[in-house]
Amino acid sequence: MELTYWWILPLAVAAAAIGVLLHLRRRRPHHARLIAHGDRLTDLPEYQRALRNHRTRLALAVVMGAVFLAATATAAARPIHRTVEQPEVRNRDIVLCLDVSGSMTSTDAAIATVFQRLAKEFDGERIGMVIFDSSSVQLFPLTDDYDYAAEQLTQAKEALESGAGSFFDGTWNGEGSSLIGDGLASCVQSFPDTGTDTGTPDATGGAPQDTKRSRSVVLATDNFLSGEPVVTLDEAARMAAAKNVKVHALNPGDMDYGAQADQPGAQLRAATEHTGGSYFTLDSPESVPGIVQKVQETETNSYRAAPQSVIADSPAWPLSIALIAGTGMLVLGRRLEP
Amino acid sequence: MPSLLRRVKSKMFIFAHRRTLTLLDGEYGSVFKGRSLDFDELRAYVLGDEVRDIDWKATARHGSPLVKRYVAVRRHSVLLLVDTGRNMAAQALSGETKKDIAVHAAGVLGYLACRHGDDVGLLHGNAAVSRYVPPRGGEEHLERLLREVDSSVDLAGPPSSIAQQLDYVLRYLKGRLLIVAVADEFLPDTHTENLMRRLRARHEVLWLSVRDADLAPERGRHGQADSMDVGTGAGIPLPLAMDSAVRAAYTESMTERARKRKDIFRRLGIAEEQAAGSEDVLTAVFTLLEKHRSGALPARSAPKGGTRAG
Repeated sequence: MELTYWWILPLAVAAAAIGVLLHLRRRRPHHARLIAHGDRLTDLPEYQRALRNHRTRLALAVVMGAVFLAATATAAARPIHRTVEQPEVRNRDIVLCLDVSGSMTSTDAAIATVFQRLAKEFDGERIGMVIFDSSSVQLFPLTDDYDYAAEQLTQAKEALESGAGSFFDGTWNGEGSSLIGDGLASCVQSFPDTGTDTGTPDATGGAPQDTKRSRSVVLATDNFLSGEPVVTLDEAARMAAAKNVKVHALNPGDMDYGAQADQPGAQLRAATEHTGGSYFTLDSPESVPGIVQKVQETETNSYRAAPQSVIADSPAWPLSIALIAGTGMLVLGRRLEP
Repeated sequence: MPSLLRRVKSKMFIFAHRRTLTLLDGEYGSVFKGRSLDFDELRAYVLGDEVRDIDWKATARHGSPLVKRYVAVRRHSVLLLVDTGRNMAAQALSGETKKDIAVHAAGVLGYLACRHGDDVGLLHGNAAVSRYVPPRGGEEHLERLLREVDSSVDLAGPPSSIAQQLDYVLRYLKGRLLIVAVADEFLPDTHTENLMRRLRARHEVLWLSVRDADLAPERGRHGQADSMDVGTGAGIPLPLAMDSAVRAAYTESMTERARKRKDIFRRLGIAEEQAAGSEDVLTAVFTLLEKHRSGALPARSAPKGGTRAG
């Protein structure tokens, strides 16, 4: 508890002292009725009793007045409450990287649903979305406009559930289908450059801040590659690692035969673990929320911002004391002034 | 300074439209038992008598010169005994200063005495000092007396003590006097009462009390301010005076006090009358003279205002 304008207090004391002095000085030529034989009244026991009560009330009024002045002066001096806080800053960048080949749509829809819900609770995070099949399409870049993201995710969810419409336009421009390496690479590319390797801060964000943001890709794919990708999954994973991007893979159809490393599921797992991410196999789309929860938990990379001192006015107690004293003075004043 | 006596006279003449001034003169004249400005007898002229004293009609009837004889006019002395202590600087019941009412009362009685041809003297003072101005005739003298009273009352002066003046009269003044005492509504203590009794035995005493201010005035009447006792300097805050319990007790105690005063004056056989303001003075003087003449002091002889006079 401290006072913003502490100098008001001595000022108020001085003002009160001057007021009292002036009052005492002016009191001399007091306008009173001159009477004789005042003992006619003052000797009455009733008068003596009334005089005692009157004096008590006067003393009480003086005390109330002093309290009132002190309280209002304290309130005028702005008492503040200073606390030091370290606000938690949640600064994650998440890119949803969805394989929209025919076998994946239900999983994608589940992921979209989960993130549509999550987007409403986001505060500080950025979310982006990329869909790919044989070529990748960025639905929306990393953004903290959660309304927009939720809207896009809703559209995506509906399109993925119906499996038709122009939503998938542009995803078949390449050769083959499910070119996962290309897809993951374009997802990784949707993160801005860290600036650490180029040495120039980027114009939009301020590079030092971006380096602190955790980056993750939620990759939904079954890793059934058909065709010849420009970038292989391994290369894409190395790019991701270079850009500090963790890849969390959700595989709805892990149908590996044996534990060989060249099986699609095992490749995917290797790729994600290379980036520091995690790998999940899905039994049904219903388990998506739980997995996303796990991903979220591994990614609670919250930074503590610099300690801030928070100053809050706390005028409540002096003002309530002043209010009580003022009310008391009014009540007493009614009694004193007939 | 305008003449104090003229002010007194003008008030008396306004009064005279309602009552007759001569009635007042008559009341005054009858205060003295031995009326003297009267025809006494006729006697034979002797050498040396004033020729203009010869009663020619009686001489014609009688045959020899006869001379009128008058009883020698005896000039009375009236002493105005006025309290000029600090108490008289306070408010009277009417809100005026008690001093003004005292001056007015002294003026009325002094003027009546002047018209009657009597001498008027003054004894006034306070607890510390008593001043005596010997009786003399004439309105100029009366005016001087009134001014002395007027200028002697001072808030900074010593407090009142009528006993000092009573003592002075008893100690130093010889001869029978008509004493008109003008004081406030004090309650005589035993000492003062004794002095008053002795005074009554030696002189004709008329007592005019100037009523003191109401200390616990009713709501809405004048006197709505804090009061200060000129005697002690103690203040009386208005809220206390307005307190209903205090006021009830005060009213009761005032009734008791008035009864006590009345008893004292009746016991002493001194005619006493009260004046609340300067408007009351003439009526009070009239009633006072009448009370004195009647000698006896009936419990309630005249309601204030003296309807009998009209």
